[in-house]
Amino acid sequence: MNKGYLCLVLHSHLPFVRHPEHEDFLEEDWLYEAITETYIPLLWVYEKLVADGIDFRITMSMTPTLISMLTDQLLQERYCKHINKLIELSHKEIERTSWQPQFQRLAIMYLNHFCRARDTFDKYHRNLVIAFKNLQDLGKLEIITCGATHGYFPLMDSCKESVRAQLKVAVAHYESNFGRKPRGIWLPECGYTPGHDEMLREVGIKYFFTDSHGVLHGTPRPKYGVFAPVYCKNSGVACFGRDLESSKQVWSSIEGYPGDYNYREFYRDIGFDLEFDYIKPYIHPDGVRINTGIKYYRISDPSGEKQPYVPEWARDKAADHAGNFLFNRQKQVEFLYDFIQKKPLIISPYDAELYGHWWFEGPQWLDFLIRKTSCDQDVVKMITPSEYLEQNRRLQVVTPSMSSWGWKGYSEMWLQGSNDWIYRHLHGASERMTELAKSHPEGTNGLVKRALNQALRELLLAQSSDWAFILGTGTHTSYAVARTKDHLLRFNRLYDEIKSHAIDEEWLSEIEYKDNLFPEIDYRVHQ
Amino acid sequence: MLRKIKDKIKKLASPRKKVLKPRSVVKSVAARRKAKTPEKIPVEIMNKEAVLGAREMAIEQTKFSHPETLKPRKQMPQDLPGGYGKDKITIQVRDPWWLHCYWEIAANTWNNLINRLKDLFFGSKRVLRVYDVSRINFNGKNAHRFFDVEVSHDATSWYLDTGGPGRSWVVDYGLKLPNGEFITIVRSNVVTTPIDGPSWITDEEWMVPEEMFGRLYGMGFGLGQATSMGKGWQERFKKALFSGILSSPGLTSSGSPVRKRAKERGFWLVVDCELIVYGATEPDAEVSIQGKKIKLRPDGTFTMRYYLPDGKQVIPVKAVSADKIEERIITPIVTRETKTSNTVNEELAAQFHKNV
Repeated sequence: MNKGYLCLVLHSHLPFVRHPEHEDFLEEDWLYEAITETYIPLLWVYEKLVADGIDFRITMSMTPTLISMLTDQLLQERYCKHINKLIELSHKEIERTSWQPQFQRLAIMYLNHFCRARDTFDKYHRNLVIAFKNLQDLGKLEIITCGATHGYFPLMDSCKESVRAQLKVAVAHYESNFGRKPRGIWLPECGYTPGHDEMLREVGIKYFFTDSHGVLHGTPRPKYGVFAPVYCKNSGVACFGRDLESSKQVWSSIEGYPGDYNYREFYRDIGFDLEFDYIKPYIHPDGVRINTGIKYYRISDPSGEKQPYVPEWARDKAADHAGNFLFNRQKQVEFLYDFIQKKPLIISPYDAELYGHWWFEGPQWLDFLIRKTSCDQDVVKMITPSEYLEQNRRLQVVTPSMSSWGWKGYSEMWLQGSNDWIYRHLHGASERMTELAKSHPEGTNGLVKRALNQALRELLLAQSSDWAFILGTGTHTSYAVARTKDHLLRFNRLYDEIKSHAIDEEWLSEIEYKDNLFPEIDYRVHQ
Repeated sequence: MLRKIKDKIKKLASPRKKVLKPRSVVKSVAARRKAKTPEKIPVEIMNKEAVLGAREMAIEQTKFSHPETLKPRKQMPQDLPGGYGKDKITIQVRDPWWLHCYWEIAANTWNNLINRLKDLFFGSKRVLRVYDVSRINFNGKNAHRFFDVEVSHDATSWYLDTGGPGRSWVVDYGLKLPNGEFITIVRSNVVTTPIDGPSWITDEEWMVPEEMFGRLYGMGFGLGQATSMGKGWQERFKKALFSGILSSPGLTSSGSPVRKRAKERGFWLVVDCELIVYGATEPDAEVSIQGKKIKLRPDGTFTMRYYLPDGKQVIPVKAVSADKIEERIITPIVTRETKTSNTVNEELAAQFHKNV
């Protein structure tokens, strides 16, 4: 008999980056890297577990922008090109390292990894969403949705029509991809403002997550802390609070696992380390050095030189760390079970891209953790929020507190000197969109309708929290500025053209071709 | 436990190390070469680890890890409109203490005010009046209290320190006349700041003893099971968890110009060797290097590139004619021996240290 539950949540998201107008576009690599290093390795873990008959539960958000890119034909073709280049480079690396066996075995490891990734990509006819959907249909994964373009809701509170549009577009998109409605949502950046739960109820969503203080600072006091979900007052939507103890073990650079000296070093990539003429065909055509994904070093003791990576040691470490994580959860659950006289629920959410991309051994760790949880003990059981809610119908009613999982716990990451200028324009555009939707309440003729729908696409794309985030970090900002401006300018021009009955069809077709996500969008959701 | 957190926070308050910007390729190589631990993420926010969410944000940034392209965009987007021609003020919540507000006043509105107020207008100050409207239907007169913040004439946005978590706020932008009269030009939306600690309200049906809740509270924040409670636990937690916010000046500043920091010397050098072995033979010959068969180009030439470690490499290159009658072997022998020396010009170094 188990004494408590563990709910692992992996939030997978990338902003919509697709530039058909350029042959090679640096920022599209964000997607290709994540496919090779995170999404496909996670699929390998899940599929092997299923093949081995291991029962598991993972909750995974897939944002509508990510799904749109994973199902986009152009990006799929470009990924094939990308992985083929990596395979070619690995072959060269195997030759080059002939007299360095400790590196050559790593070059072989990468070649195998890339070839396998290509096979997996081909197996699903280039559409990885199908693979994740299959796992959901098997009952192992619970895939939840997110804001349509990952707009940060607390800073859209003054124009709730946009929050509603983000939700409605997301739910419709989820349905068309997964053949059913989403039960839960990962609020973008875990950003919650009281009252938004009522809009979640409107679109049929049953639960969401907040950071710890979202629940702990809820009113009235939550009797079980973050170890049981609560129902939001008025809406009845369930809210699950994050447990920071389990989070810290993975996230923290001081106490966290990924900093172990045996793990692979993220910052030593041959794209930066090798001689320019040799590596040139595999970095950006402009000659900008970028990560290739081939990295030969382990983190190493900081007092000495970086040492070559030893996969066996890293794998042993991942197993140790998985055991340690489980041990700590057992202790935590046993203590809480006695303390609150109820089976506690531990919510541990992470960015999916942490696994594999940043923490190379992350997928292995996850694999060990799931196997150990399933086979070695029965104190902790993995569960999805939906299952928990089915088994626990009576929950306390609480109004959670405004919160996010961003820097300092609230909205400052997206609202500071470097990015606050965007909100005047985003809110202005949102008001205009509401005006357009109100003035065209019934369906309209072809061209106007196309322009209205595209206006909503542009608005949603401008709202992606990623742009404000990048502006806030102060690196790579020119792309974020350009994206914010491009979409807002396109929106404003569409607004003017619609208002003055002078839609430039040629230009409209051009931006429909560029910003082609959400083909089924209906502008009337922005109300 | 709490002391540990306080220590961490103290560390955060100390001057930040110079952060390497991955934008510059050359510098990036340096950063990578010298990176010793994963803590060295080139992100400023990493230096604020103990603050909630810092790590999450640092990892999130690695998703966007590429340096910027050197090629300028073909066409930079034009500028966004300066305004939308409406009188409007919007406030939004940054955290339990701070609000951000931005506003726009149409030219027409200014003209009307000037016509109406004449000279009074030019003697007036631009003021944000911040009303505490918690749990009331605000009608302009019934606020619990208000305070004024004078803003510069050309300001169109401001951060406001309300000092009031868990309260509702409305802000008027207006003019304060020389006689003290306040004229509202435009009124904002209503927002509510979140509370900065646990609620004082408990539910009869879901009662939880203070001691028990205190411990659950600490555990939820990952501060362990043994957290001792007692009087003032909430205040202590608040300080520990949110001191990043409490000490925030409200605007991001990129390092204080006042504090003088010891300049770190970041000089470095990396040298590696690779060896290119190339040659040519009949296009249909079979060639092997160190016993390993290699592929020829259609014209019979070949090139192999190897990392060259220290020591002696014996590299037999063997070609066998297509008819297997002839065999040629050429064996380059290459030795690499690497020596290093690091010197410091003591005189200049002493001068350097004196200057910093």
